[in-house]
Amino acid sequence: MSEPVYRLEVLTKIFDGTLTAVNGVDLTVRPGEKVAVIGPSGAGKTTLFRLLNLTVRQTAGRLWIAGQEIGDLHGARLREMRRKIGTVYQQHNLVPRLRVTHNVLAGRLGTWSLPQALRSLVRPREEDLRAAHRALSQVGIPEKLWARTDELSGGQQQRVAIARVLLQNPEVILADEPVSSVDPTLAHGIVKLLVELCSTFHKTLVMNLHSVDLALAYFPRVIGFRDGQVAFDRSPDEISDDLLTDLYAGRLTSVSAEDSPDAVPETIRSGTPLLRPQ
Amino acid sequence: MPYPKPSEAALPSSDHSRSLFPILFGICFAAAFVGSWQLAQIQPGLLFEAEGRRNMARFITGMFPPDLSLNFLRFLVVPFFETIQISVMGTVLAIAIGFPLSLLGTASLAHAGILNDLEIAGSPGRRLARTLPYVLARTVMSAFRCIPEFVWAFMFVRAVGLGPFPGVLAIGVSYGGMLGKVYSEILENLETQPSEALQATGASRWKILIYGMLPQALPQLVSYTLYRWECAVRASAILGFIGAGGLGQQIELSMRMFNFHEVVTLILILFLLVAAVDFLSARARKAIV
Amino acid sequence: MTGQTAPATTILPLPPRSGVRPATLLVPAGILALILWSWHGTRFDLIGLLSADGRAQMLTYVQRLFPPDLSPDLLRKVAYWSLETFAISFMGTLLSVAVALALVFFASRNLVFTGVLFEVDEAGRPIRIARIGVYVVARALLNLLRTVPHIVWALIFVFAVGLGPFPGVLALGLHTGGVLGKLFAEVVEDIETQPLEALQAAGASRLQIFFYGVLPRVLPQFLAYSLYRWEVNIREAIILGYVGAGGLGQQIQIAISLFLENKLLTLILAIYLMVTMVDYSSAYLRRRLL
Repeated sequence: MSEPVYRLEVLTKIFDGTLTAVNGVDLTVRPGEKVAVIGPSGAGKTTLFRLLNLTVRQTAGRLWIAGQEIGDLHGARLREMRRKIGTVYQQHNLVPRLRVTHNVLAGRLGTWSLPQALRSLVRPREEDLRAAHRALSQVGIPEKLWARTDELSGGQQQRVAIARVLLQNPEVILADEPVSSVDPTLAHGIVKLLVELCSTFHKTLVMNLHSVDLALAYFPRVIGFRDGQVAFDRSPDEISDDLLTDLYAGRLTSVSAEDSPDAVPETIRSGTPLLRPQ
Repeated sequence: MPYPKPSEAALPSSDHSRSLFPILFGICFAAAFVGSWQLAQIQPGLLFEAEGRRNMARFITGMFPPDLSLNFLRFLVVPFFETIQISVMGTVLAIAIGFPLSLLGTASLAHAGILNDLEIAGSPGRRLARTLPYVLARTVMSAFRCIPEFVWAFMFVRAVGLGPFPGVLAIGVSYGGMLGKVYSEILENLETQPSEALQATGASRWKILIYGMLPQALPQLVSYTLYRWECAVRASAILGFIGAGGLGQQIELSMRMFNFHEVVTLILILFLLVAAVDFLSARARKAIV
Repeated sequence: MTGQTAPATTILPLPPRSGVRPATLLVPAGILALILWSWHGTRFDLIGLLSADGRAQMLTYVQRLFPPDLSPDLLRKVAYWSLETFAISFMGTLLSVAVALALVFFASRNLVFTGVLFEVDEAGRPIRIARIGVYVVARALLNLLRTVPHIVWALIFVFAVGLGPFPGVLALGLHTGGVLGKLFAEVVEDIETQPLEALQAAGASRLQIFFYGVLPRVLPQFLAYSLYRWEVNIREAIILGYVGAGGLGQQIQIAISLFLENKLLTLILAIYLMVTMVDYSSAYLRRRLL
């Protein structure tokens, strides 16, 4: 496929007429690429992701996904486009009271009809169960097929979220700070898992990361995002400490998305422990 | 920063934000009180007048001993069951009316929030198509629940005759409005993140509702519905007064004939019924969570 | 991604509680049976209601309601009856709060005989028994007040003091007093004990603990419940009219019996406006005062 997966042209998102979260971004992502997005909190990364996975609509600018312009897309065509994009969120994105298998199978909601979806909730089909089990094996927790989702740990829940994306079988995977709320010792494992899965199955991966270390370690292309704009777009060896300092200048880098008052500042690009989640 | 010297330190002053609200509230309350006292023709003295006291005495002595004869009790079996049946059917009807209305009347499903952002942005036509049913549903629910079930009962008695059926309809309609409103509130107060994630898989709003919202809302929905059933038992007793069957109708008959000893029995039975329903409902609610 | 079929020999984990247990069937079956029995017993005639005939009848009836009777004479009277009903609900709610407050502190276990305030207690047996007795009596009184339907209270008071809105106030006040009293008592019994323990450890007497520890915590919740109850009472005040305790309820009955449908619509509109107004005021006050 020669068409870029994503093409952004002066993409802008302004909330309530006053808050400019994404400010005229130009960007192209080609199929199979692995891109990390880093930057201080409040830079607009999450809004960028919500534009990319068609959760919010841009205020100005143009967006193409897999060659198709997202103009006035709505209804079934919009849902079809969304199905092609898989998203892993930071947390709280599974349905707690459902069993793991249903949360995983929810990845197929984009392809199922309503009766099929209902039926699966009551009694999943054998082939669906096998698929869910397979996906859970790929993320390392096959035995949790029937556990209730709210009984799992944070790290396990993220794996379920990844399994759901696997079942959705999208063309591109977006991950919005997937390890920021996970035990730091598990963070590497999960990022590595996502990168490897995308390599194996030829998916494009765009990941929003809080930890610069993880970004530089696993991604051949790193975009620095600040104040709603792309600050730099390079491979890790081209990224100097000065560049990073500028990116995070004047901000407590390590305050997480939830602005925890207990956050311990992290040194940029070092071997020191990652931020402790709340 | 150095501490201010004691002489310079200003004590934090209490919040003298010159809000008019307390004064306005006070005036309104006083006016309402005085006006209501007049309109309601409150005359505490009446309670202590000779006539009043005589009547009260007659009433109290007439109550004892309560009529516990087998004859009477056997006679009450049907009204007793009727009251239960009215409350059950009334609640079932209320769910049937309230639930669909609540789905239409939930802003986060209909026209607001991320489930609708992309769909209606840039198309006033689609926005209207989504907002209109919402407004209609809200109005209908409001009309249903703001008109007391007693008024509904009167109209239904006129329409379908006396008996338990109009009572069921009255409770169904008015409680339907109440259930609808509360269901909507429950759905709107859910966490949005699971819904956002489901939407990102390409799911339609129906599927998001079934997979994401209802599983989360279920305990609260059931809990409130059970509470409404408790209220329905009491309501069906009262509606009986205007001819909608059940124990209420018996109470009305007995009072009209000044058979206070029968009234006491009826109230005792009503008490036991309400207590039993309260108990069952509490147990059920605990089991759901 | 999950394209290849796994070998059929892969054993999947079993769902919990697989198979059908009697208990899981019993509850839904029981509920269904209850509904069917009630359907039959109430002679619920859905088909009749929704039949062509039934719908035509309802439509005719609804058409007869319009237009509402807006003659100035009637409007004046309706305004008066509405204000009267409002007055009944207002005074009734105030009275109920008074009744509830009078009883709640005797009906709350943790204030009368048990809990943190009484653990290190040197009172003799007779006093302890008397305390429990006070609690029992207060609770029984609250129960009595709320079990007797407000409409029965209204009849009793009409009997005692004659027709008019005053018996309605008394009826609402007593009945709702019982309801609120029970709710208030639950609030009091649910408060955290640690602040009370702290006060007690500092040497405060029970009365002081009550004023400094209990009252400030429970009053906001009392206010919230009272405002909620006001919304209910405005509706209940209307039905009291039916038994002679005030205007609107009785007028509804008259309008229906005399086939004055236009007047009925006016009354319904007035009720709707009033109830909505009270609902809004209650919500507003709850936001503002709490």
